[in-house]
Amino acid sequence: MIAIEHLTKRYGADIVVDDVSLDVESGTIAVVVGTSGAGKSTLLRMVNRLIEPTAGRVLIDGQDTVTIPEDELRHRIGYVIQGNGLFPHRTVAENIATVPRLLGWEKKRIASRVDDLLNLFQLDPATFASKYPHQLSGGEQQRVGVARALAAEPKLLLMDEPFGALDPLIRTKAQADLLAIQRRFKTTILLVTHDMEEAFHLGDRIAVMDQARLLQYAAPTEILMRPAHEFVERLVGTAERPFRLLSLTSVSRALEPGNASGPPIDISANLRDALSELVWSGREALPVSDISGATIGKVSVAGILALRREQP
Amino acid sequence: MSRAGLSLDRLGGVIAILIAAAIILGPFSIYRANRIASGDARGIMFALPSAFAIGLMVLSMAIALVSAFVRALAARLAAAAFGMIAVFVAMGRSADFLTPAGNSFARVSPAWGFWLLSFAFALLVADALTRLRFGPWERLAALAVAAITLALLLGSGAWNNVSILKEYATRADSFWREARQHIVLALGSLSASVLVGIPLGILCHRIPAIKSAVLQTLNVIQTIPSIALFGMLMAPLAYLAATFPLAATLGIHGIGAAPAFVALFLYSLLPVVANTVVGLDQVSPKVIDAARGMGLSSRQRLQQVEFPLAFPTILTGIRIVLVQNIGLATVAALIGGGGFGTFVFQGAGQTALDLVLLGAIPTVLLAFAGAVILDALVDLAKGARA
Ligand SMILES: Nc1ncnc2c1ncn2[C@@H]1O[C@H](COP(=O)(O)OP(=O)(O)O)[C@@H](O)[C@H]1O
Ligand SMILES: [Mg+2]
Repeated sequence: MIAIEHLTKRYGADIVVDDVSLDVESGTIAVVVGTSGAGKSTLLRMVNRLIEPTAGRVLIDGQDTVTIPEDELRHRIGYVIQGNGLFPHRTVAENIATVPRLLGWEKKRIASRVDDLLNLFQLDPATFASKYPHQLSGGEQQRVGVARALAAEPKLLLMDEPFGALDPLIRTKAQADLLAIQRRFKTTILLVTHDMEEAFHLGDRIAVMDQARLLQYAAPTEILMRPAHEFVERLVGTAERPFRLLSLTSVSRALEPGNASGPPIDISANLRDALSELVWSGREALPVSDISGATIGKVSVAGILALRREQP
Repeated sequence: MSRAGLSLDRLGGVIAILIAAAIILGPFSIYRANRIASGDARGIMFALPSAFAIGLMVLSMAIALVSAFVRALAARLAAAAFGMIAVFVAMGRSADFLTPAGNSFARVSPAWGFWLLSFAFALLVADALTRLRFGPWERLAALAVAAITLALLLGSGAWNNVSILKEYATRADSFWREARQHIVLALGSLSASVLVGIPLGILCHRIPAIKSAVLQTLNVIQTIPSIALFGMLMAPLAYLAATFPLAATLGIHGIGAAPAFVALFLYSLLPVVANTVVGLDQVSPKVIDAARGMGLSSRQRLQQVEFPLAFPTILTGIRIVLVQNIGLATVAALIGGGGFGTFVFQGAGQTALDLVLLGAIPTVLLAFAGAVILDALVDLAKGARA
């Protein structure tokens, strides 16, 4: 677990991060969201001490980070930035091997780790290992950037707008990949973004920052249903709110007995997908299927509305 | 009348005109009764046996046509290279032809027709090489081929009767001694400036407070004319030699190689320091942030990231210094520092142009070779990252 306690950063009279406290449970993703200049990057960079806090402290599994030598601390924490910061004079394999090499891993172990990571990110080692960053597409560079950050198997990953430079289609794919990898390795992630959509998609918890202060830190539904501040409400967007809420709710919550005609929707889908399909195909209800493909009930427009009425 | 497939090449056309002017208007050789007598210019027809003269003219016109109309780069390169060799051999032949048998005072030198013709062919070679877009290794190979060809031609004795080689023959020993001295001055001061300049550049990059002071000081030094700088260094070095006997034993004197070496070193510092600073400043802040974030120490960052990325720019500075020093080392002769300048200034004093050329031509060739080699190294250093 990481515990951020009363972190504060001042530059002269300017307060850039103002007394921020938050905990991130091990194996979860916390997303810090806010407009540009809110202090998100500064907060993130105080965690691996790229910036020294003016006050407050960060504990990783109970250990105060100031007790760990800076470089050693950073070897243990993955770090990904927008536009990836790959070393242009080093190949993909050499880039990924950076931290393991600093840690003095054996050559064999480094090579097999690099291969594993390339495969994990769907980059064929035979093709990609010896390429230079400028020979890759933006999406490939970004994947190598994340692979490099994960090379030494860090328990904590810091990501500063990691998908900011990608176009929307590739971004969606990159987010899905990140979720899959996070679930597999149980990495704790602290991710900064200014994209609310991304925050709702990735965050187990969302921290909303504005003008150096943390306004609210809560689960996505909580942020939607009970915004603690007018700014949070505006950021969430009144018009998009219902759809964000639906996208956080599984189809299983609105499952009704019975059947309907037409192609079914998967039980693991969310209600936003279900509503889209209902509106698009002009149906009152969709059949719902389980993993085996068997129909187990239906989801209807009326059922979705009823579910909303039950919620506070 | 231009047929299909034959279109005029602009630069090639200009080169063709130069070739024509050289063989029609230009005197090919100059005959002098002795090394300082006034000369008697001879056109091609009177400078060579007639069969040879006609052959050279026909060949040159043919190359002019290739230059103007032929597109194939390999053909252009071959024609130009062949022309270079031919005009070089012809000059040697002309010297044999014009020198009366048994007369060791007579001098035959190249005249402007020869120089213009050589220049036109060299231009054609350079143009073809540029358009062929040779990579660094190919350019180095081309340089090696050119050097070997020149060495073979000179070694064969084909030019032994040409005035410049006659000057060489009477002072072969001192020629190689001055050559070595020239290279020691140019490369030695370059090495010293690299050893001092790169760390100084790194310091300027890391401590912005000293950057402008250092760069401005070096800038001022660059603006001092070389003779003046030599003069300014003579007094303190003479004092050093007089005060500390050790300095004198080490070869440090008010005149001679020491002030020349120090002056070249001082001139070299600015390009090395400035390019080091620029090269380091150019490294993307994202790359540095990533390196820091991954836990590279300040020293590891410099060695593994910043310096390798700045290296091609630093090499560009070294290239500037190398060419500059090879040229400037000539002036060292004025204060007894030796080098090819010795021949240039002796020749100027005696109004013996051939002797001047004996110093000047190797200097130019050396600077040219240095530039080609370092350009290739810069490309190699950029390597696959492009
Ligand atoms: N070194 C610094 N000195 C002074 N102000 C800074 C410095 N770094 C950042 N800031 C200011 O801190 C504020 C927050 O910056 P940052 O954390 O990068 O915001 P965000 O990542 O949310 O866009 C900005 O207004 C920025 O101008
Ligand atoms: Mg930021």
